[in-house]
Amino acid sequence: MATYYLDIWGEMCPIPIIKTQRKLKELKCGDTLVLETDHSCTSRALVVWAQEHGHKVKEEEVANGIWRIELTKMR
Amino acid sequence: MIKKSQRKLNIGFSLVMVLFFLLLLQISPRLAWLFVLSLALGFTLQKSRLCFAASFRDPWLVGSTKLTEALIIILLICIPGFAIVYHFFTVCNIPIALNVTPFGIHTFIGGILFGIGMVLAGGCASGTLMRVGEGFAMQMIALVGLIIGAFLGKVSLPYWLQIFHEFPAVFLPNIMGWVPAVITQLLILLLIWQLIRRWQRKRKELT
Repeated sequence: MATYYLDIWGEMCPIPIIKTQRKLKELKCGDTLVLETDHSCTSRALVVWAQEHGHKVKEEEVANGIWRIELTKMR
Repeated sequence: MIKKSQRKLNIGFSLVMVLFFLLLLQISPRLAWLFVLSLALGFTLQKSRLCFAASFRDPWLVGSTKLTEALIIILLICIPGFAIVYHFFTVCNIPIALNVTPFGIHTFIGGILFGIGMVLAGGCASGTLMRVGEGFAMQMIALVGLIIGAFLGKVSLPYWLQIFHEFPAVFLPNIMGWVPAVITQLLILLLIWQLIRRWQRKRKELT
């Protein structure tokens, strides 16, 4: 149950999703990946992508214009 | 990092917008209503998180077709709406200009160029504008490029029109009549929808 952090500050879609895809391959099931972004569309796209691929995802706007996403690998 | 309330900013911004609308109303009512329409469009675009760039890019890059389906729904609403507006205007004898331009090889070249720029900039014209409004700094650079490009396009438009105008303009309603044309377009859109659904299922099995 390790927690990983991925740096996607200032990146635009679709780079964050591709980076997440690559990072998730290294993770084991049940591991959590924490992502923080300042791009609203990126956070939305990541949540939709994660739900479509059956991962557990939690999205929170921690400050004005900053989103924190906790993604748990489920499969 | 604490999330501050933005209510004061909200009220201030709304007030400035109303004052600006009243100012524009004094100058020209047409401008004022265009302003209201563009505000409404921008608000809808921001809240719906619709991204034209993503709707064309995501099926290929990440295999997600949510936004592509949204785009098809927009067109499904648009095509009958276009026909209704046209009929309403002709029945009421209001002159209307349909900006129908011929389709040809130049459309493909332009589309590919625009597509490359769109993916690199992270958004099409409306998406870039909306995200600059949201305060995403990187897209302000894209906005500068967008303004330069739009200006160059506007200046050189007569030249391009002269070169490419010999393509025969095909306007479906003139050939088939309005009702069959609208129905054909809707059927084609439904077909594209089916193809996209199949594409998504295939991509999901791969990943």
